[in-house]
Amino acid sequence: MMKTNFHFQDGDAFYEQLLQAHEGLTREQSELLNARLIILLANQVGDARVLKECIEAAGRL
Amino acid sequence: MPADYAETPFASGYEFTEGSGYDLPEYPFEAPPEIASGEVSHHPIVIVGAGLAGLTMACSLARYGVPAVLLDEDNTVGAKGASSRGICYTQRSLEIFERLGVYDRIAAKGIQWSVGRTFAGADEIYSFDLRQQSNYNLSSQPPFINIQQFYIEGYLVERLAELGRVQLRWKNRVTGFRQDGECATLTVATPAGEYRMRADHVIDATGAHSPLRGWVGASVTAKKGDDRWCIADVRFSRRPPVERHTWIEAPFNDNRAVWQHLMADNVWRIDYQMAPDSDPVAVSRESVVRERLARQFGADCEVEIVWVGPYAYRSECIDRMRHGRVFFMGDAAKVVSPFGARGGNTGVSDADNLAWKLAAVMKGRADPALLDSYHQERHEAALQNVQVTNRTSSFLRPQPGPQKLFRDAVIGLARQHAFARPLVNTGRMAIANPYTRSSACDRTGGQPVQNVGFGWADGSMGTVNDLLAWAEGRLLLLVFGDTSAQALQRLAAVTQTMPVRAVQVVGTEDAPMAVEHVLDPKGHLQGACHVFGHAWALVRPDSYVAATGESIDTTLVHSIGRALGLQDETARPPADVHGPRVGAEPPSFEAPREEAA
Repeated sequence: MMKTNFHFQDGDAFYEQLLQAHEGLTREQSELLNARLIILLANQVGDARVLKECIEAAGRL
Repeated sequence: MPADYAETPFASGYEFTEGSGYDLPEYPFEAPPEIASGEVSHHPIVIVGAGLAGLTMACSLARYGVPAVLLDEDNTVGAKGASSRGICYTQRSLEIFERLGVYDRIAAKGIQWSVGRTFAGADEIYSFDLRQQSNYNLSSQPPFINIQQFYIEGYLVERLAELGRVQLRWKNRVTGFRQDGECATLTVATPAGEYRMRADHVIDATGAHSPLRGWVGASVTAKKGDDRWCIADVRFSRRPPVERHTWIEAPFNDNRAVWQHLMADNVWRIDYQMAPDSDPVAVSRESVVRERLARQFGADCEVEIVWVGPYAYRSECIDRMRHGRVFFMGDAAKVVSPFGARGGNTGVSDADNLAWKLAAVMKGRADPALLDSYHQERHEAALQNVQVTNRTSSFLRPQPGPQKLFRDAVIGLARQHAFARPLVNTGRMAIANPYTRSSACDRTGGQPVQNVGFGWADGSMGTVNDLLAWAEGRLLLLVFGDTSAQALQRLAAVTQTMPVRAVQVVGTEDAPMAVEHVLDPKGHLQGACHVFGHAWALVRPDSYVAATGESIDTTLVHSIGRALGLQDETARPPADVHGPRVGAEPPSFEAPREEAA
């Protein structure tokens, strides 16, 4: 099951790191970084059902 | 079969010849008897199309002792123009060919390989060695053999002549079809004139341009891609390593994909991905192909071009694999891109699936309802194969935008991290597809059984295929472990009243009690049947488990009935199942499951 509660140890720090990682990148580089990050994080999750639910949740714009 | 048919010299006249192209055999046309007699003949089974699927079907039926007529519009194997089409045959197909009696010739002629390497740019990013994968190790057949498709077809043609039972009619082109409650009627054009024949069952193995789809009004789900490839079969003065190489982005092909495989006669197949809008004539012009080969192998490498052809990859799947009396198989049922060798190999499995069912129905051993499970099982397989190949297609031909972005991300990560390498999708090799929604398989069944080895009671070695041959088209019941005297009695009742042959499989700890028993000291046979401990496995003639269970009780009887297409609760076989024993009651057990075998 996809977690819908807050699960970060330090959410603000993650958010800051994410923004910093994109600083100075072109739009294309930013997109590639995001894509790489999604695949790295997805491998941490692994669980097929959770990943499916996350993709669906992200798609509900 | 005409008396002189078997005497026709099927010379091995299709060896690779120096120079360009293959010299394919030509088989003689004989005027069908219907033309002289003017009569409409009647046949239980007519197979249309003597390609890989049609020939496998014909050979399987002949082995089960069931007569059929096989029609082919051409007079040779392979395709005119001498292309070799399929080249990679999976362990499952090789196991089937072993049952048909052509495996030894395939193994002698073909090339075995197990190492595959994937490159992006100049770097190798992923490799595998199938010999290191334990799931391939136990079969008597290797993971793969690469060989030109027409060789296998030629071996099957010659095998058919040995087996008899099937009339193979060359240069017989089906031009018309209709069916009703009584039979199907085919109109056939030949060089000697036209004739008509009736059939109870028609097998459409005509390939991707099947005319029968239209004649029966079959609906097809299709996906048109813009992926274009140019395939070159070549011989070199300097041979590349005996490995499959794949480039996702080949610097020598404008950063598009390239495949490099080997096959018999020292011929290599090089597949080049082309630009989406490329002109098929221009990309396959010999001078252009030579230039491409020189970029890959060096200008000093002498190249002999055997065959070149452009392809537009696509996927198609018929929505119902049975329309009345017509069964669709091979490319007539579904068309996929060649990634993972899921075309020809699944056609072979289509034929293997339908042949034993038709044979069992014709011999009165199974209910005609069993034939509906052909669609259930092979359509599930077809859909899975279409899905798997379409996933590979999206990886290899990503659309600009997000598709290309994520591929770049995966390739980049794969260079740095092992976890990302399995995401690199250059084709997932064909497997024996499991059946999860078949009316003929219990939920404990539907899994393929590998052709593993065991010991006969006298200590000599046997294989699953030997056991299937012993069962002669009946179901094969393997009972693992010790067996009580009561269970043996019940087993005897089963084998006397139903088309089943049973054998006890003993490990190192068990006592052989049944008259028919085999030895499985390493547990390979048990593992292949997907069971553990004291258990039984009901294996079908196509080497799939129909059901498994623990005790010899009513569950087993129901499973047998189900595997034979009998849906009714009493699992009563059709009256003519037993030959002279007509009217014998099927065994009825009230034994609770705890009172185990």
